Amino acid sequence: MQQTATTFDPIALSILWSRLISIVDEAGTTLQRTSFSTVTRESNDFAVVLMDKKGRSIAQSSVSVPSFLGVLPILTKALLKDYFPLDTWKEGDVVMTNDPWLCAGHKPDIGIVSPIFYKGYIIGFIGTIAHSPDMGGQLWGAGTRDLYEEGLMVPPTKLMSQGEPNETLFNILEHNVRAADQTVGDIRAQVAANDQGIKSLMKLMEENDLEDLQDLSDAVINASEKAMREALSAAPDGSYHYAYDTDGDGRGVGCHFEITITIKGDKVVADYTGTSGAHYMSINAVLNYAFAYTAYPIKCAFSPDVPNNDGSFYPITVTAPKGCLVNAQKPSPLGARNVTGNMLHSVVFGALAKAVPNQVQADCGSACWCIVLNGEHKGKEFVEYFFLNGGYGARPTMDGEHVLSFPTNVANVPIEVLETDVAVLVTEKSLLPNSAGNGEFRGGLGQRFSFKNIGEKPINVSMVAEKTVTASKGILGGEDGSMGSVKIVPEREFPSKGLGKLFPGEELILTLPGGAGYGNPADRDKAAIAEDKILGYIS
Amino acid sequence: MKLGIDIGGTFTDFVLFDNNSNQLYFAKTLTTYPDPTIGIFNGVKEIEDKFNFPVKNMDGIVHGTTLVTNAVIERKGAKTAFITTKGFEDVLEIGREMRYDIYDIFLTMPKPLVPRNLRMGISERVDIEGNVVTPLDEGALKSLANTLKENGIEAVGVCLLNSFANTSHEKTLGDYLSKNVPDMYYSLSSEIMPEIREYERSSATAMNAYVQPITDKYLKDFETQLRTAGFEGNINIMISSGRLTTIDGARKSPIHLLESGPAGGAMAGVFYGKHLQEENLLCFDMGGTTAKACVIYEGKPEITNHFEAGRVKRFKKGSGLPVRIPVIDLIEIGAGGGSIARVNNIGLLTVGPDSASSTPGPACYNLGGEDPTVTDADLVLGYLNADYFLGGEMKLSVEAARKAIENKLAKPMGISIEEAAMGVHRIVNENMANAARVHVLEKGMDPRHFNMIGFGGAGPVHSFGVARLLNTKRLIIPVGAGVTSAIGFLVSPVASEKIHSHISELKTLDWNEVNNFLSDMEEDGYKFLEKSNIDRKDAIISRVVEMRYYGQGHEITIDLPEGKLSDSDVAEIQARFVKEYEFRYNRSIEGMRMEMVTWRVVVEGPTPEMKVKQFTTQVGEEDAFKGTRKVYFEETGYLDCPVYNRYALKPDEKFDGPAIIEETESTTVIGVNTTIQVDKNKNILIDLHL
Repeated sequence: MQQTATTFDPIALSILWSRLISIVDEAGTTLQRTSFSTVTRESNDFAVVLMDKKGRSIAQSSVSVPSFLGVLPILTKALLKDYFPLDTWKEGDVVMTNDPWLCAGHKPDIGIVSPIFYKGYIIGFIGTIAHSPDMGGQLWGAGTRDLYEEGLMVPPTKLMSQGEPNETLFNILEHNVRAADQTVGDIRAQVAANDQGIKSLMKLMEENDLEDLQDLSDAVINASEKAMREALSAAPDGSYHYAYDTDGDGRGVGCHFEITITIKGDKVVADYTGTSGAHYMSINAVLNYAFAYTAYPIKCAFSPDVPNNDGSFYPITVTAPKGCLVNAQKPSPLGARNVTGNMLHSVVFGALAKAVPNQVQADCGSACWCIVLNGEHKGKEFVEYFFLNGGYGARPTMDGEHVLSFPTNVANVPIEVLETDVAVLVTEKSLLPNSAGNGEFRGGLGQRFSFKNIGEKPINVSMVAEKTVTASKGILGGEDGSMGSVKIVPEREFPSKGLGKLFPGEELILTLPGGAGYGNPADRDKAAIAEDKILGYIS
Repeated sequence: MKLGIDIGGTFTDFVLFDNNSNQLYFAKTLTTYPDPTIGIFNGVKEIEDKFNFPVKNMDGIVHGTTLVTNAVIERKGAKTAFITTKGFEDVLEIGREMRYDIYDIFLTMPKPLVPRNLRMGISERVDIEGNVVTPLDEGALKSLANTLKENGIEAVGVCLLNSFANTSHEKTLGDYLSKNVPDMYYSLSSEIMPEIREYERSSATAMNAYVQPITDKYLKDFETQLRTAGFEGNINIMISSGRLTTIDGARKSPIHLLESGPAGGAMAGVFYGKHLQEENLLCFDMGGTTAKACVIYEGKPEITNHFEAGRVKRFKKGSGLPVRIPVIDLIEIGAGGGSIARVNNIGLLTVGPDSASSTPGPACYNLGGEDPTVTDADLVLGYLNADYFLGGEMKLSVEAARKAIENKLAKPMGISIEEAAMGVHRIVNENMANAARVHVLEKGMDPRHFNMIGFGGAGPVHSFGVARLLNTKRLIIPVGAGVTSAIGFLVSPVASEKIHSHISELKTLDWNEVNNFLSDMEEDGYKFLEKSNIDRKDAIISRVVEMRYYGQGHEITIDLPEGKLSDSDVAEIQARFVKEYEFRYNRSIEGMRMEMVTWRVVVEGPTPEMKVKQFTTQVGEEDAFKGTRKVYFEETGYLDCPVYNRYALKPDEKFDGPAIIEETESTTVIGVNTTIQVDKNKNILIDLHL
């Protein structure tokens, strides 16, 4: 293929760049509209990324889960290097994998990657990751003892070859997962989303007389890289250390995080030496997942305005001792690794507060709590995921928002949808007064959410709760947020992480932590305190 | 004789149609604050003085206004309370817990319209199937009513959990409030938006309550003043779905007025399309602060139920308050002529989304604005005439425009002022074309199959560039491009839309129950039309259901077969669903069960006919050709472009582009490789050659 390098003036680049982003957003809409699981359709737990033929991300869906966005290019690069070299791909191929070390760190997250062919040549890839309703094994959660209890693992495999479905693979999936039609339906929705993206990209190529994506890809990646490097250069050089503890099992075996962030010139290195070893519960993170959740808050702090792509990550290095909590090795269990990933913003912002205090936020009442309900409703087995978020951390110039997802970005499942799908009656959903950490700017409030089993059969509950024995940490003089709790009525013990049963008539009461404060509470504006009192945010 | 009145942010537009002479008359007055009826009666007087049509001789008036939208954006609604199931008072504030921007840690979420101290819970509970789990605590009603009174509440929204499945508790509450707090307005979610998903339903209900007192007062004043002036005809109000309601209908559900002006524009597009035999049209409406696009397919506008009002960040989906009402699917594709251009931190030229609005306005207004805007670029490029802006009422400064572009854009990028101005013009066109393209594609359609109609103050300036980018074959700039919404008001039908939530699998539906509620909904619709003196035999019924594969969360809309439904219709409904699903997503799922969710019945009166013989504007005998001026086009650079006076163009005249055609409210810009034709009604038809 004969081609001369195209350069883009600032006007043309601006135009094409925003079109690339709208292509992935459009594909994201298709995924959401055609999916079955509440995780994808109600809670947005998915991402779409457009990549060049080297597997470098060029554009990503706007309102997606940050970890998935960071992981898709890593996955595609690995596919190209170790599984399917560039010249082996055919038009109409689709590769699927849920290998946690290649993909998003636990088996329910399924990566689907499709090549993009234009005029007979491969020009790039489009990938989606979505949280599937089920992957077999033990019900998803923090309670598995090893990787094998976490269900089926599909190494990188062709789901489609030149448009022909791999019936064997579909067959194996259907026989190994709960709510099979939902799981398979969502995989098909992911393929449909990829197809949608490819179709739109074709139009962009035609209309702009582009032969190849490479020059455009180089241009957007270079621009994002440059923005990140310039922002890092403006920050004071130095090494910044921060230590942080989280619940672990919530019964004495906690997790300890340590980070040293070194900013030097236009580069940053985050090192997790000192972090505790792999946990016995399934809350361990693999390194590429930890990378995604470390790079994410760095991007927020230094270059929030420039569209994200591979270039944003080039100046960032993340290291962690092999086998530790954030660089887990086989066969450590990984199921609920999100509670660990969701904490990394706390340590990153904690360390960066010493370097760039005006570019960070206080700790959030995260991790996002995940609850999976499994049982039978109207003669049909259900696996219903839902998410609850705590308070948002305070910012250098403003309070934290109440009950808002961070660092992940998942919506709640509407109460009325939950009650449609599952035999429960929700008994309360409300803001939790006095749960926010005080400060010059206070955190956001946490929430209380409770529900009752109104069916005739017990419901299996997989709980992934966090900050029930630790709290969100205030920064620069701000106070900690309140701790959360998991209670059952009539009262008996119920784990904050792991499997439990909710018997008919029993009620589960979940109290989610508040966000932490920023700055000295003595400096808080009197009018803001008065308003908080009127609104009942504080008593 | 019928009068359309459209209140916009800056101007109030009037369009009068005289069905004796089949002529249209236009007028424009400044919108007056805080009482917009003053501006209205200024215009009514102007029409009487200028054209000799007193208001008492008119048969009908159709009205639309930005009042409701502005009340939400500016947070100037009533003191509103909110009543919900005890334990769920904060649902309205918590929302969906999701961020609309993932990298901005400084984002703020929209504040609820009702603050926490004015949200009250009452003990009651209905389950998802409509069974009462906890009876309504009627003993608590008295103290609740007292609290409302003590707090000086003007309006209250009521949204109880699962009330779409059983409306009785909300009804009891409503009855009690109307008897015991008669001066207070109340909105029930089961009447405003009887659909599943508590946050979205609460949001719509609270908003309806919030805007009800001001809308009610305004509409009452409006009606009283018209009646005092001797007007005896029907008064109808334009709503977001492109249909008309009565004054009473608007007072009851004012949230339906949210998009009344833009919906009028779309309906004008439908009208012109019919006139010009263009079934499929892309409407492009660009003003000073906003640009919108809308698809008209097979002579009909697309209607959506997803809408957000009062966004914190204008172009960020999810940053506003959701309102699931039927709205013409108008997408906001840009911030209009006032959009500010700048070079961003990585050296790229960007335009918008922020706007210089009217104060200080674009640099060329010379009112202190230093930021270069789209209008400044248009002036530098020669598209606008510095001495003939708004018909010469406002002088523009080319010098100020050039200086702003030079300092803020050309110098930092190291390019000429003209190149920078062209860049701004191109980027804003690209952004708008891009958004319009995605919008059309999302509907599974191909933008190249649509001709375009351009209107609004800045629409005719940018339509050509946008049309080129979309590979449009023909562009239409209608007469009355500056008062299009008000024209649309006169050609929209009166209609009632009823919604019923009934979630059930297709295979196990109880068709008797379905037929019963459908016919009740139809009957309600007929009764509604009678209030506008429309006979039921003239009504058109359309019945649709929103359905999905069992287990999905998003529905698609399917037309129901006619007549009484039964098991024998199942195959047809299934086939329609599969066809629509495949059209949208290129595939269907074999053997998957289907589920019906929301049922809608629209009972619509006849679409008013308007057989326009001649659009009356200033008719001059002078030559249309005004001379030439230097205009910059991307393909050619500067050239001496012919300039025409639109009012002097003769019907059936035909000439080649490039051309600039000037009229009072706007300027039509046409590039090279085009043929321009003036039709018998003086619409400008532009054929774009490849």
